[in-house]
Amino acid sequence: MSIHVGGLHKQFGNILLYRNFSITFTEGIITCILGPSGCGKTTLLNMIGGLVNPDSGNLSGFSNKRMSYIFQDPRLLPWKTVRGNIEFVISREVQKEIRRQKTDTLLKLVELGAFADYYPAQLSGGMRQRVAVARAFACDPDIILMDEPFKGLDISLKKNLTRSFSAIWKAEKHTVIYVTHDVDEALMLGKEIMVMSPPPVQIVAYENINVSPPDEKQFNSLKKKLLMALGES
Amino acid sequence: MKISFIKKHYPGIISVIAMLLLWKLLALYFNSALIVPHPERTLITMLRLFTDVDFLGIAGSTILRGTAGFIISALLGILIGIVSGIRPRFNAFFRPVLVTIRSVPVIALALLALIWFRPGFVPVFIAMLTMFPFICTNVIDGIRSVDPGIVEMAKFYRVNHSRIIREVHIPAIMPFIISGASSALGIGWRAIIIGEVLSQPDYGIGTMMHAQQIYLNVDAVIAWTIIAVLISYIFEKLIRLSERKLVSWKET
Repeated sequence: MSIHVGGLHKQFGNILLYRNFSITFTEGIITCILGPSGCGKTTLLNMIGGLVNPDSGNLSGFSNKRMSYIFQDPRLLPWKTVRGNIEFVISREVQKEIRRQKTDTLLKLVELGAFADYYPAQLSGGMRQRVAVARAFACDPDIILMDEPFKGLDISLKKNLTRSFSAIWKAEKHTVIYVTHDVDEALMLGKEIMVMSPPPVQIVAYENINVSPPDEKQFNSLKKKLLMALGES
Repeated sequence: MKISFIKKHYPGIISVIAMLLLWKLLALYFNSALIVPHPERTLITMLRLFTDVDFLGIAGSTILRGTAGFIISALLGILIGIVSGIRPRFNAFFRPVLVTIRSVPVIALALLALIWFRPGFVPVFIAMLTMFPFICTNVIDGIRSVDPGIVEMAKFYRVNHSRIIREVHIPAIMPFIISGASSALGIGWRAIIIGEVLSQPDYGIGTMMHAQQIYLNVDAVIAWTIIAVLISYIFEKLIRLSERKLVSWKET
C-alpha cells in the first residue's frame, strides 16, 4: 500500500521548484522529509493537500482519503474555546455527544483536559500548537500533513509535543507526511526519512529506521549521515 | 468597589460639572431666558416634560424611528459588506454607490425624502442612509481582516461554506460591526432629529423642538436636546454592553 506523486512540475516565478519529481509514501507510517529552508517543502505538502495546484504531475492513492494538516502556526479560531476549535473540524454528521466525547479524549491525550473552555488568547504558544495537533486527529484522517509544526518552540516543549503526538498516533497509525529542517525531530518521529536538495528538488538521501525511535548510538550515526546529506545537497 | 467607581469616573464627573457651570455663567451674563435660560429652570422644564401624557409617545416615536433606521441599515450593511468583502468584483461595483451615499449632504436627502415619503418615514429614511455606509465599510474592513490562513484551514478540513461564513467570518467581523454600529448610531440620532424637524410627523422629539422654538421656549428646546443626548448615550451604553457579551473571547 502506498501513495505516490509522479512526474511533478512546479514553477514559482523564475524558480523551478520541481522538475519531473517523484516520491512514494508508505501508508501507515510517519515519513519525514528533511530539506533546507526554501526548498519547497511546504509547497510539496500544499500540492499533496490540494491547496496549491502543480503545473503538471499526477498524484495517486490520495482519492477518497481524508486529510488533516498541522500548519506551522496553530490557526485556531480566536472566538472559539479549545473544545470549540477541535469540534469545528468534526463533521456535523457525527452526533453531538460523540463529537464531544472525541474532543475530550483527544484533549486528555494532549494534556489539555483542564483547558477545554479556555480561549486561544489565554494559552501559551505551545499549548495552542497542541490544540492544533488534537484538531488534526479529530476529523478521522487517513493522512496527516505536518509542516514544521514545532518550529520556533524551545527544545523541552518540542519533546513534549513530539511525545503527545506519537502517543495519539500509535493508537491509529495514520499515514503521516512530516516536513522539517530539524534532523533531531525527524529522527525522533520518523520511520522513513528522506532528504531533499535545493531546487530543482531531488531526493538525495533515504533512511529506513528499523526501530523507531533509534537508540542513542544509531541516532548519532544517522544524525551525522543526514546532516551530511543536507550539507552536501 | 464604590470608591474605584468614583475614581474611574472622576474626570467625567468633573467635566459635566464644568459644562453646567459654564452654562450657568452664560445664563447669568445674558440674563435672558430667551437667549440662555438658567440650567435649573431647564431642568424643571425637563421634569415637566417627563410627566406630560404625550412624553412616552413623543420620545417613543423618535426611538422607534432610530431603531428601525438602524436595523434596516445594519441588515443591509452587513449583507452587502459581507458580499463586498468576499467578492472583489462586487466591491468594485458597489464602491461608487457607497461613496455617493456618503457624500450626499444630509439636507439634500431630507429635501428629497420630504417629496417622496410620508412625514413619519422621512427621518427613518435619512437615518438609514447616513448610518448604512458606516456599517457597510466596517464590515468590509472586518472581512478583509479575517486571517486567510484560518479560512484555508477551514476549507482544508472540509467545513462547508455556510459554516465558514457563520463560524469564521461573522465572529471575525463582530468587533467591526459593533464599532460601526456605535459610530452609525452616534450620527443616526442627529439625522433622525433633523428629519423630524423638517418633516413634522405628529409625534417626535424634532417636531417638539421645532414647535417650542417657534414660541421661543428656549428652555424647552434645550430640555428636548438633553433628552435626545440621553437617548443617544443609553444606546451607546447598550452597544458597549453587547460588545462585552459578543466578543468576550478578546479579553484575556
